Order: sequence, then structure tokens, then C-alpha cells
Amino acid sequence: MTTTAVATSTRKASRAGVDLLRIVRINEEIKRVVSVSFKINIMALNAIFLAKRAGTAALGFGVLSNELRVFSQDLRNCMESLTGLIHGCVGEVSIVLQDIRFTRLLSEAALVSPNSAAPAILAQREAENEMHAGKLASLRNQLKRALEDAFQMVELGGVLAKSAKIEAAYGQSFAVPLAQVSGEFDGIVEEIRTSLESLRRSAFFTGY
Amino acid sequence: MKITETIFQDGTHKWVAIVRDPDKPNFLIDTNEYLVTHGGAGMLIDPGGAEIFPAVFSALSSEFDPSALSAIFASHQDPDICSSLALWLEFNPQMRCYVSWLWNSFIPHFGGTAETFISIPDEGMDISLAGLTLRTVPAHYLHSSGNFNLYDKVAKVLFSGDVGAALLPADQSDLFVENFDKHIRHAEGFHRRWMGSNEAKRRWCERVSQLDIDMLCPQHGAIYRGADVQRFISWFDDLQVGVVKG
Ligand SMILES: [Fe+2]
Ligand SMILES: [Fe+2]
Repeated sequence: MTTTAVATSTRKASRAGVDLLRIVRINEEIKRVVSVSFKINIMALNAIFLAKRAGTAALGFGVLSNELRVFSQDLRNCMESLTGLIHGCVGEVSIVLQDIRFTRLLSEAALVSPNSAAPAILAQREAENEMHAGKLASLRNQLKRALEDAFQMVELGGVLAKSAKIEAAYGQSFAVPLAQVSGEFDGIVEEIRTSLESLRRSAFFTGY
Repeated sequence: MKITETIFQDGTHKWVAIVRDPDKPNFLIDTNEYLVTHGGAGMLIDPGGAEIFPAVFSALSSEFDPSALSAIFASHQDPDICSSLALWLEFNPQMRCYVSWLWNSFIPHFGGTAETFISIPDEGMDISLAGLTLRTVPAHYLHSSGNFNLYDKVAKVLFSGDVGAALLPADQSDLFVENFDKHIRHAEGFHRRWMGSNEAKRRWCERVSQLDIDMLCPQHGAIYRGADVQRFISWFDDLQVGVVKG
């Protein structure tokens, strides 16, 4: 193995290390979104009760709260699949990191013992590395798509929250509490949107 | 690269010490690896840490085909003993690793599958290398709680693992102990601190005193031969171990 090849494997290792850090951060952000979407679920339940009490004055609001509850459940399901994908990525990156170390050690062995079995074993190892790198690339794409889906879903959530705000205005004597609840909805949906925006911008997806 | 020294040879029956790597970074403890061959079969004893794999591999390759290694003997579970296991297995996935039963679910964290490991019971067992019998000699708590030496009755060689180890200064690279008194100063601190049980040490001294040993080969430092073998056993017998300070 040449010095260039050693440098390449060092570069690959530090890239995989950086990937792992990025994945850990993505995972933390997803955990945050999951707990926030759980909050929406509870808020939506409260909003449904509030709308029931307001009766005919808040029919539209009641329908929207139901929709928001469904939305929060969908969002949680979506986050669960993101979490599954993220765990898959962690697994692959860990394998890639270990492989890179072994490849480096095998390369050094092949360099000092070119007539031994080391070069052949090294070639096998490199083929396996390619396979894992391919798997990681595919998981990365799946994750990117799932994140886009989540983003679309949150756009819809935003529309629902804004409509709830408008509906609250027609709530007569309940207008104030309804406005407060719909304002909180909107705030939380915005919070999730900001989280997802930052996830989309993660260098794990955008390149190096 | 490490150097190889044949310390015993009778036909295909050989003991090769793989020692001293001038290129090894200082933060890694220096280790000795040993290759035993007999009738075309080979066993690697305490193959060493992953980071020194290239150096051990290339030295060993000059003597023996690594793909033809049929077994690895791991005296205990330490990373300087066998964290290279996964790399050796790449060359022969059928290779077996003999290790104390205590560690047979710990060492797989370094590599290998359920089939790789052969558990050595506490009392020890015989290992056959193409008809040559190698006896695993209990050395528990010296320092590892599940620890074995390896004795070759024919070659009169005892591989003693961490027992007999010396942390030698860089300028002392003799393969054999040349001046016992001078040498043992570098072994004293190691034995006091790493070895945990005076009782276990007593039993080990009794056990190995009964063996006919020409060479006592530790995993670190120089090899004791001739009268220095008994000298070492007596010295060790007198030493208080399990001491954190002093
Ligand atoms: Fe040890
Ligand atoms: Fe050791």
C-alpha cells in the first residue's frame, strides 16, 4: 500500500467518525421532535374537550383539533421510522469504522509482506468495505426521503394550526381560550418545522 | 517490523520468538509473540494487539504461512494478548482459539464466532499440535483470574505469559536475560503491582518447579534460560505481590 492509500484510509476513517457524530446529533433532534409531537397529542385532546364545551360556537375548531390529533400520531409514526433508519445508519457507520481500522492494519501487513496472503485478504476486505459503504449510502437516501415526508406532513400541520387560529376567532365567549390553544399549536408546529429544517440541512445529507 | 528468533528447533518442531519492533510507538507496551510449529502445523501464542498486527504478521510470514496457522493460544483476555484475533481469523476462519473458560464470552468482542473458541478448564488441558502435546498450565490470578501458561515437555519450554515479564528500557533489547540481578529490577514493580495473589503465586511456583524447563518465555521482556529459570522461580516465590504502593 502506498502512502497515498494510507492517507485515503485515514481520510475515510475521519469521515466515518464525522458521520457518526452527525448521526448522533440527528438522532438527538429526532428524539426532541418525538417528545414535542407527543405534547401535541395531549394538547389536541384538551382542545377537543374545550371545543366540546364550546359546543356549536366551536364546531370548526373541534374538527381541526381532531385533525391535529391525527397529525401528531402520524408524525410520531413517521419519527419512529426515522429512528429505525438512524439506528441502521449507526450500525453501518460503526462497521465501516471498524473495517477502516482493519483495512489499514491489513494494508500495512500487505505492504511489508507483499508475497504473503495479505494482499488477497486485503482485496476481499476492501470489497466488503464497498458493500457496507453502499448500504450506508442507501440508508442515507432512505433517511433523506423519510425526512422530506416528515417535512411535508409538518407543512400540513402548519396549515391546520393556522386554520384553528382563524376558527378560534369565531368561538364567541370561548374565543380567548381557543385562540390561546391554537396559538400554542402553531408555536409547536413551528418548533417541529425548525427542527426538521435543521435536520434537512445536516451535512450528513448535504455532503462533505 | 519485528524480528524472529528460533529459540528451539528439532526437525519440524520449532519455537520461534517474535520480538522487538524498533518502529513500535512508545505508547504501546512491547510484547513477545511465539510461534510453535510441528509437522507442518502452527500455533501462535498470545498473538498481540491489533495495532502491532502488521509487524507480527510480516515477521511470522517470513517463517510460516499465516493461513496455515491452525490455532491461537491466548493466555488471558488482555488487549495486548489478543485484540488482533479478528485479523488473524481473516487468514484462516477455521482457526481455533484456546482460552480459559472464564473469557470465552469476553474475547469474542475482539472477533471470532462461537466455533472459534475452545475453553480451557481451570485445571488445564493438553493441546495437540500435529501429534505434539502442549500442556496448558494453570497460572490463575497471575495476573488474570483465568490465566494459563503453556508447557512443551519435548522442547522444555514454558511460555509463562505475564509471569516473568519485565518492562525493559529501550536500550535493553537482549532476547535472553544476560544478567539476572540487573534484569530482575525491571520485573519487580510489574510483578508486585500486576500479580494479585500471594497464594496463587505460591501454588504456581510449586507447580512449575516440578517441570523440566530450559527456557521460561514471558510475554514481555527477555527470556530466562538455564539456571536463570530456577532463579526466577525462587525470586518470585520470595516476592510479596498484590502491593499497590512501594
Ligand atoms: Fe496481561
Ligand atoms: Fe501482558
